[in-house]
Amino acid sequence: MEDKGNKSLSRRDFLRIAGLSASSIAAGKLSSNSSPMTSVEVAKSHTAGNLRPWWVQTVDEPTTEINWDGMQRYDARMTARGQGFANYIGQAEADRLTEIANQVKKQRLDNNVPGYTLKDQAINAAQSAYTFGSRSFLGPQNVETPMERGVPSWTGTAEEAAQILRAAMRHFGAATVGFVELNKNTRKLIYSYDPDGKEIVFENVDEAYETDGKRVIPDKAKWVIVYTVQMSSESLKRAPTVIAEQTTRLAYGRALDIQIKTQEFIRGLGYQCLGEASSNSLGISPAFAVMVGLGELARHNRLITPEFGPMVRVFKMITDLRVQPDKPIDAGIMKFCKHCKKCAEACPASALSFDDEPSWDIQGDWNNSGHKAYFEDSIKCKTFQRENAATNCGICFAVCPFAKKNKVWIHDWVKTGIATFPFLDGVIRSMDDAFSYGAQKDPEKWWQLDLPEYGIDTEQTTNDE
Amino acid sequence: MNNHDQQDNEEYYKIARGPWYQWVLWAVWLFLEIIFLQAAVASSKELEPRAAIVFWLLFGVFALGGITVWIIRRERLI
Repeated sequence: MEDKGNKSLSRRDFLRIAGLSASSIAAGKLSSNSSPMTSVEVAKSHTAGNLRPWWVQTVDEPTTEINWDGMQRYDARMTARGQGFANYIGQAEADRLTEIANQVKKQRLDNNVPGYTLKDQAINAAQSAYTFGSRSFLGPQNVETPMERGVPSWTGTAEEAAQILRAAMRHFGAATVGFVELNKNTRKLIYSYDPDGKEIVFENVDEAYETDGKRVIPDKAKWVIVYTVQMSSESLKRAPTVIAEQTTRLAYGRALDIQIKTQEFIRGLGYQCLGEASSNSLGISPAFAVMVGLGELARHNRLITPEFGPMVRVFKMITDLRVQPDKPIDAGIMKFCKHCKKCAEACPASALSFDDEPSWDIQGDWNNSGHKAYFEDSIKCKTFQRENAATNCGICFAVCPFAKKNKVWIHDWVKTGIATFPFLDGVIRSMDDAFSYGAQKDPEKWWQLDLPEYGIDTEQTTNDE
Repeated sequence: MNNHDQQDNEEYYKIARGPWYQWVLWAVWLFLEIIFLQAAVASSKELEPRAAIVFWLLFGVFALGGITVWIIRRERLI
């Protein structure tokens, strides 16, 4: 969908494009997979319905190769997250590591270690106090439906539905929003079992329901809403400390608020919206985000977005409101990851892959097969988190060259270079080191920062006309 | 005053026109200076002190280089 404002050009964009054009001229002709910029109309494009720079191109297939025939629906209890970790190392060992994590936190509290002081641990604990509402599959179901108001349900085209949903969800706090239709392939990205052991099943029923044993998605609920919530990069660059971890918790809290409000908004339109019954439930978040073009899968086996790099968390819901699906993107991110390896080098647990090429072979049952990726060793990762960091770590997010803010014009040109001149990837990685991007910052200085709301820049994806 | 004396009193200025690419090079220099300056200022806003220092250094080195070249070329003309 094209809006009029998308075709005009701000002074800021003009300067950026002017620089970009000069860079392009200097660098020679564009490579074959690039889009030559012939006019200002293509300076920005809508991919996944989000305002994007021209070099983020929509593609028919995601940059992660997928073998749908070799993919099964994944049991969320098999992940190495939360209680699932004990499945791989045994309950006794999991308890021992949790105890170590608690001791490490206590020792660092006693010793006033920066990033683990009382104020750090207090704010981290506070971020888990969700006051917005309770999480559920079916939603609160408190707002009046159109039937209760005595009017028909909202009707509109799929494009209009996508537009109003995106507008509402961005207003609720989502950074980017995308949609994908559930078909026989993408249904495989919905968990077979939720982390709490309830089976997720599709049935030919009118309304979703939940029993003690299962959560039922009606066949007609065919659209997945995928959204990202920004994390504060300035906080996460203090990883691995609790002052870094708290931004993750904040993102989960905000995501829950967005979920509840979106569920109620869609109910108010006369449709159903099914949410995550617990954190990271319902489906495979990065996979859905790749399918709707919110980003690409990267070396740390998580999502990297063109706008915020890895500084996001991904969430999803399912609705029977027909929305216009989006397509995957290619912004050169996966290709860059082949050469970069900065996250793998920085990973203190050596849990990330150094392979030059992604692989079909999974590292363990915590990975889902059927796609070609850089699979991580989640056991090494989670063990380090408990034994050493006593937090959820996040170093791989913090050091990523895509984890940039957007105030320096050159950042945009570098991303353009990554997308259009892959032979520069090695140089770009070296420059990233030279400029010391990704270096761990002083946790104690976080308290002196004057950060914006939630510690994030909320204008990165807006049209600044 | 005869014609010979008149010629002796006249001064001749040779106006050397710079090559066309000189202006292109100055434009590139100015463009890079703007970029480095923007990056230096914005890096501070991004709370990236080392990047800011590197960009300020680049800006300073290019500024000194440009001024030096300009002075040398100017003196050659005088």
